Amino acid sequence: MPTVTFIPGFRKTEVRSGSSILQAAQQVGIHMNVVCGGLGKCGKCKVYVKSGSYDFDRDKYGKFFTAEELEAGACLACQTSVSEDVLVLIPEESIVQEQKILIDVMGTSTELNPAVWKYALSLSPPSLDDPSPDLTRLLWGIEKAGGPKEGVIYAPLEVIRRIPRVLRESGWKVTATVVLVPGGYRLIDIEKGDTTPACYGAAVDLGTTTIVVYIRNLIDGSVMGIASGYNRQISCGEDILSRVTYARKDGGLKKLQSLAAESINAAITEAANNAGIDRDHIYEVVVAGNTIMTHILMGIDPAYMIEEPYVPVVRRYLTAAAGRAGLDVGENSGLFIFPAVSDFVGGDIIADILASGMAERDEVSLLIDIGTNFEVVLGNRDWMFACAGAAGPALEGGEVLFGMRANAGAIEQISLDLVTLTPAYRTIRHVRPKGLCGSGLIDLLAELLRACIIDRTGRINTAIAHERVRIGRQVPEFVVAWKEETGIGKDIVITENDIKALIMSKASVLAACLTLMNQAGITRNDIAHIHFSGAFGNYISKENAITIGLIPEVPVERISPIGNGAIEGANLALLNRRKKKLIDEIARKIAYIELNAEPSFMDEYTGSCFLPHTDLSMFPMVEEMLEKCRLRRGDP
Amino acid sequence: MTMQTLADWIGEVRSVTIGATRADGGTRTGTVTVGGERDLSFVGTPPTGHRPLIAYEICDDRSLWPAPVNRFLGDRSSDPGEWARWAGQEYAPDLIRLFLTSTRKRGFSDPASVTSTVESVLQATGLPLIIEGSNDPALDSEVFRRIGEAGEGERLLIGTAEAGHYRSIAATAMAFGHLMIAQSPIDINLAKQLNILLREIGLSYDRIVIDPYTGALGYGFEYSYSVMERIRTSALKGDDDLTMPMICSAADSLTVKEVREADPSESDRISVSWELYAMLPAAIAGASIVCVRHPSTIAQLRAGIGALWSSPGGGA
Repeated sequence: MPTVTFIPGFRKTEVRSGSSILQAAQQVGIHMNVVCGGLGKCGKCKVYVKSGSYDFDRDKYGKFFTAEELEAGACLACQTSVSEDVLVLIPEESIVQEQKILIDVMGTSTELNPAVWKYALSLSPPSLDDPSPDLTRLLWGIEKAGGPKEGVIYAPLEVIRRIPRVLRESGWKVTATVVLVPGGYRLIDIEKGDTTPACYGAAVDLGTTTIVVYIRNLIDGSVMGIASGYNRQISCGEDILSRVTYARKDGGLKKLQSLAAESINAAITEAANNAGIDRDHIYEVVVAGNTIMTHILMGIDPAYMIEEPYVPVVRRYLTAAAGRAGLDVGENSGLFIFPAVSDFVGGDIIADILASGMAERDEVSLLIDIGTNFEVVLGNRDWMFACAGAAGPALEGGEVLFGMRANAGAIEQISLDLVTLTPAYRTIRHVRPKGLCGSGLIDLLAELLRACIIDRTGRINTAIAHERVRIGRQVPEFVVAWKEETGIGKDIVITENDIKALIMSKASVLAACLTLMNQAGITRNDIAHIHFSGAFGNYISKENAITIGLIPEVPVERISPIGNGAIEGANLALLNRRKKKLIDEIARKIAYIELNAEPSFMDEYTGSCFLPHTDLSMFPMVEEMLEKCRLRRGDP
Repeated sequence: MTMQTLADWIGEVRSVTIGATRADGGTRTGTVTVGGERDLSFVGTPPTGHRPLIAYEICDDRSLWPAPVNRFLGDRSSDPGEWARWAGQEYAPDLIRLFLTSTRKRGFSDPASVTSTVESVLQATGLPLIIEGSNDPALDSEVFRRIGEAGEGERLLIGTAEAGHYRSIAATAMAFGHLMIAQSPIDINLAKQLNILLREIGLSYDRIVIDPYTGALGYGFEYSYSVMERIRTSALKGDDDLTMPMICSAADSLTVKEVREADPSESDRISVSWELYAMLPAAIAGASIVCVRHPSTIAQLRAGIGALWSSPGGGA
């Protein structure tokens, strides 16, 4: 059987002779763009066969490609069959970006109070009797139309240069755009005629991996367009530290800066095109991103932040003309960057806080953002503590034998029959299971504990006589799915080592929560809300997150996911300028706790390396439930 | 000068009795009881609970025993029964702690010897016994079952369970009515966790003695001391998961460089000093049983404990 190897990534699969490249791609879990359903009609599934022979009708489908592309081996994956080993390059545009990037805003209601106003003016032309200058005439017009007073509006040189001509060519009928920036009111644009309905702003989540853009109508607040894409800095390193390293190179920071701007521009362009609006009518861009990303976007050297004592350059919001950061919107449009608190608590977390509403409540809330790194914020309108740390990749499916990201075939939900130990699971897209993603792993850990297959330190009780409990390669393991039922042709198991990695990950999150709670002198009963930020929080079971002690025990109705808090916070700040003041207050209010310097953290961590925690009295409901499970199992 | 403490303790260390006389169904000439403390030691209040006891450690295969002790013992019989009888008569420890070191050697294949060794030591001495078995999952269930059987009725203290290695020992303790040692690596959370694990497989808390693990002086002892204080304080504050008495061993003290490289003429004095200065503070920190391997340490340790526990600071 021929082997198809896909690059980049070198994923390999064997297919029957005559199979299409598309089938091969689906077999290895690469999701290609097949808008037409694989009929050779849309031309979206372009691939390049780099070596090996294949069968593709160039005459029929050549129309989708340029001569150069055909020369390079371009063909349509759905219409190309293979009969011997081939090496296939899949260009990025042919892949469905399947990693779900959260783009839904939960719809927190906020007052519509943008920082942009457009005034349609009909001015009287100057005369010998009324010789006041063009600019004064324009500003007076704005004042008369209900705008700010003539004397408080600043007009940048670029706009002044255009005023005389636009006024006269338009017959003195113009639209002036004014924004409020920290320095005061600013005249940022003058256009012919009445363009007042075209008044937009962009909210941007600038992530290390992905970028999400919302274009909002600033007159009625409606969403005009949404787009997401990869951060093009990925070509300079996947993770944040490698970006900082790259920034240190000669010209590195400049390159990263322009890639960040390019990525945002691409997403804004896509969203604007879909909405049918002119990018020049985007008058404000609000960006929430982690500390390193926002520093780089503003061209500020992030190198010193990753060394002791880990101080960022700025801890307040930044504003500038968007053009100065290379953003392709109106050249004088405002750019607002969410403030950072520390190297690891950045503008994205401030946006999370804003989106969660915790900074406007009297009750205490706990906000948790879990990824390879986690951030935890505890507080209310008066005070806030924040910390950040490394959770390791286990909760995202990394460092776990059959762990995987939340792609098709990942077991995202699982339960065990406490008597027969037979699992019942659900996979993403309902295909045969290939592995377990974070939410599935959390479920499984909780269920193994309930079924007494593991003890509270995560050790598998090998004395259990059951076919699913066995010794694998040196370590004990539990069989989640037999190879006959999986999509990978082998048993999917969870090993004792996987379980230990998961426990260490969850322990660091819980220990961080407890450290902040101790710092504030509060108990779990004082926590009125727990907010999960990020994709992770949307899919995990709240009960199981508590059962394994990932978070402190609170009644489950107090737990809510806030989705992509960064984009939501950016939207809020865009639509309601009063939030910007709040944002700055939040950033100033947060007391950052450096966990490395906190002696009690290690103690909390060891205490948390137990299911759910060494101090069982902190998890009374879990204990009651486990007690019942033990009785049902019939074990002592 | 004494310091007044205002602690309002609500907890108490459990009293644990080791050994069984004929009246209790065993063959020991006496039993010992440890624990019962209701306060910290040496904080100005009269001592509470039982005085710390001394266990003397022997083994069934001296090739794994510290060189200074082997030198001191010379060609004295390696038979553990004979060794236990001799030590009991000459040095009068409160307990004998037998390490079945033979089971820890590569290729051990004589489980029947476990039964005979334990029986011979039980016959040779009337002191209550602590017995340390294998440390290999492949051997554990057989070795501990034999220990448990051979000592049935004797209320042995058997060891040593760790978080990765506790099921066989606990099963033996439950099946044959013995007590067990639960060891954790100098960490209060891990000590507590192991006790919870043991409870959850059905062992009652009055059968557990905590080994907090004792580093040698200058090699981690200060951590041990601090963890023991925390364990004791937690017990007194009412944390039921940590109310067990503690056992400490000076085993690590005999492997440090200063002892290994001591001039032969000084070997005994230095070995005894290292054991003494680890075990005396361990008793102060809250250990109920302190264990030594050099016979000459026993008398000095007994004198030290006696002096401290009779001093004004110690009360009576």
